[in-house]
Amino acid sequence: MILKTGPAYNPSMSQTFKNKLISDDFLITAEVSPPKGTDLSESIADADIIRNWADALNVTDNQRAVMRMSPVAVSKNLLDAGHEVIMQLTCRDRNRLALQSELLGAFALGVRNMCVMTGDHTTKGDHPGARPVYDMDSVQLLDIIRRMKEGHDLAGNVIDKPPAFTVGAVTNTDPSKNMQMMKLRKKSKMGLDFIQTQAVYDIGQFEAFMEAIGDIEVPVIAGLIPLKSAKMAHFMNENVPGINVPAEVTQRMANAEKPIEEGISICSEAINELKELCRGIHIMPIGKHVNTPKILEIAGIRKKNND
Amino acid sequence: MIISSAKPFEEIIELLKDEDDIFIIGCGACAAKLHVGGEPEVLNMYRLLEEAGKHVVGWYVPSAACSVASFSSLMEKNPSIKEARSTLIMACGSGVSIIARMSDIPAYPSNNTKSLGGLSQGEVVSELCAMCGDCKVYYFGGICPKGQCPKQLLNGPCGGSIEGECEVHPEKDCVWELIYKKLQKMDRLDLLEKIWTIEEIEP
Repeated sequence: MILKTGPAYNPSMSQTFKNKLISDDFLITAEVSPPKGTDLSESIADADIIRNWADALNVTDNQRAVMRMSPVAVSKNLLDAGHEVIMQLTCRDRNRLALQSELLGAFALGVRNMCVMTGDHTTKGDHPGARPVYDMDSVQLLDIIRRMKEGHDLAGNVIDKPPAFTVGAVTNTDPSKNMQMMKLRKKSKMGLDFIQTQAVYDIGQFEAFMEAIGDIEVPVIAGLIPLKSAKMAHFMNENVPGINVPAEVTQRMANAEKPIEEGISICSEAINELKELCRGIHIMPIGKHVNTPKILEIAGIRKKNND
Repeated sequence: MIISSAKPFEEIIELLKDEDDIFIIGCGACAAKLHVGGEPEVLNMYRLLEEAGKHVVGWYVPSAACSVASFSSLMEKNPSIKEARSTLIMACGSGVSIIARMSDIPAYPSNNTKSLGGLSQGEVVSELCAMCGDCKVYYFGGICPKGQCPKQLLNGPCGGSIEGECEVHPEKDCVWELIYKKLQKMDRLDLLEKIWTIEEIEP
C-alpha cells in the first residue's frame, strides 16, 4: 500500500515564518486549540477565521494540562489546509525519547516551527493524578533541538536528514522577576529564533521588559488575550501566572456599556503601542477567533493576500 | 530524616481484617521524632487494636526499624514475637521493607512515607532532597530545586508562579524565589548563571 502524504503541504510556504522573522514585518501569530475529541472541524474553522491575517498559528500541547488531541496531528491538518503552524511542545508529558521522536515526526509531517515550554503541572489540569515527566526542562529541550538540527540525537547518534526547525520559547514579561529573566537568557543562549510572551496588558511594564532584555537579539512576539469582561480581568490577575492587568484597564472594562467592544478596543490600542516595542503580537483569545480580524483591522493591520 | 505520617486507623484495621496475633514494631529514629512510631504511639496502637478486637502479642521499638539486624535480634528483645502471625510496622517504607525481609510473617505498614526532609525548630520540613544520587545543592544555596520544585527544574523557574508562590503548592513560596534570595545574601548569584545540560543531571 502506498501512503499519500500531505496533499497541500508546500515546503516553500512553510518556510515563510522563518523568512518573516528576519524581515521587518510586524508579525501576527495566533493560538489554535486542538479539540477534545476526534473532530477537527472546529479547529480548522477557527484557523480559517484568521486565514491571511496571521503569519503562523500556534498549536497548543495539552494546554493547562488538559488532555486534548496531539498537536502533531492538528499541526499536520492545519498545514494541509494551507496554514503555517508553530507547534508547541512541553516537557510535561514526554521523556527525552518521546520528545525527540515527536520532533522527528512533526518535522517529517511538515512542521517547521517549534515553540517549547516547561508546561503547566499535571495537578492543574483535568488528569491531576497523571505522573508529570519533566525529564528535561525547556532550556535542555532547546539544547536538544539544537543538537538534533546539527545532526545528532541526545545519545550522540547520527540523525539522517536533521530537522531544521525554527525554534521559539516563551516567557513572562515582568522584568522584576529576576530568576525568570535569568532563565530567558539561558534559553536565548541555546539558539532561539523567536520568543512569544505571556499576555501583556501593562504596556509600561512590557517596555521595561524589552529594555531589560535589550541585549538578547531575538525577535519578541507579545502575547495578547482580548478581555471580555471586568470579571475576566480580575480572574486572570488572580489565577493566571505572569499576567498583570492594570487597575485602569479593569476599570475601563467595568465602565463599558459593551464590554466585548471595549476589550476589542483595548486590545487594538495595545497592538498599536506594541508595534513600536517588539516584532509582533500573538493573539490567544478565550474561545474562538471571531473577534480577531476586527481587532487587527482596528489596529491598522492589513489582511495579507498571499494565496 | 524520612518523613512519614500515620495512616488513618480505619485503613490499618482494614489492612489487618484477616490478621490476628499481631506484633507491633515501632522505630526509635525518624518515626519516633515525628510522633508516628515511638513508644507512646506504639502503646496507643496496642490499645486501639485491642479495643478493635485484635490480639496483640507484644511490641518493640528498635533504635531504627531500617537497621534491625535480624529476626533473632528482635526475638532477644521480645520473645513474644515468636507467637506473632503478623507484624505492624510503625516506621517508614524502608523500615517495613527491612522487617519484611527477615521472615515470612506478613509485615503491614502503619505509615505513609512522603519524602526525605527534616525537623527543625519544631517544624517538619518535607521534600528537602530528591535523593538523586548526584548532589548539587551547593549551587543553589543549600536549597535543592530537585527536591523542592515539583517540576525538578535546575535551570530556573517555570512560568507558573503567581506572586512568588509555587504553581503546584500555592501555600509554599516558589523554591526559586528562596534560592535567589539566599544566593543574593551570599553574594553568589553568579552560581545561577550556570546552564545545566541534560548530561549533568541524574534522572
